[in-house]
Amino acid sequence: MATTATFTLTSADIAGDPVNVSKTATCTKAGATTDLDQTTGLNRVHLRSTVNKVLLGANAEGNDLAAKVYIINKATDPSLYVTVTINAQTIGKLYAGDWMFIPWSQTDEAADIEVAASNWTASTGDIPVEYALFHEDTDFLTNA
Amino acid sequence: MATVNATISLASDITDSNINVSNTSSLFEAGGTTGLTTMTSVTKVLSSTTQADLITTGSVSTTHAYVYINNPSADATEFFKITIGAVDGAEVEEIGRLYGGDWMWFPWDVDDDITVIPSVATDMTIEYQVFS
Repeated sequence: MATTATFTLTSADIAGDPVNVSKTATCTKAGATTDLDQTTGLNRVHLRSTVNKVLLGANAEGNDLAAKVYIINKATDPSLYVTVTINAQTIGKLYAGDWMFIPWSQTDEAADIEVAASNWTASTGDIPVEYALFHEDTDFLTNA
Repeated sequence: MATVNATISLASDITDSNINVSNTSSLFEAGGTTGLTTMTSVTKVLSSTTQADLITTGSVSTTHAYVYINNPSADATEFFKITIGAVDGAEVEEIGRLYGGDWMWFPWDVDDDITVIPSVATDMTIEYQVFS
């Protein structure tokens, strides 16, 4: 079983010459060439809170093991964003249509991945977020 | 303003029903539909396991950027710990480990530096691009 993640970036005008980047990674266990063998599958939640919510709960057993996280903000209003934090450290804001794909070290149980619909109000409507986790071995990870 | 598109294609047969995801994001300034204007593209060779600043907040003039980092090594055992927070700061959070052949892409709020710790002291190459 294999999981591959391909990144493609294109721009005809961010520089004097076209920029094209393409890279495929086969997601493997830490320090090995063995494929990752566990996943949460693709999930969808609707955020309606400006307060941080746990999207993926960390477990210290996961430290030193491989885990890859995919998150996308499926909102269509470009002003609506989701703030992504790890252990209260803000990583960045996913605006409508933005996605991220990162390795995730669960250095301890506080290293949860949390999200907040930071500029949500009752009138903006929910912010749909989809995510998936691909990981190895331990039975640690549950969806919040 | 430039047009920059970033696409992810995820394919996995771990589960009985395969996962196939493909999404393209057009990169805009925060909260709008104005295209970005700046790209930085760097390749570095690090020869120490000491934590090093990779991307400093001072190198970006906005509060919203996109970061691509690639570990081009063919050695699956070699990795970079990707951390966020000043090198000499008390609060440095490890995001994850980028093993040989791995890449990552994320929005960055430019509040804290992106720092790295190579796993070995032999020359390790790391590539990154920042769009803002």
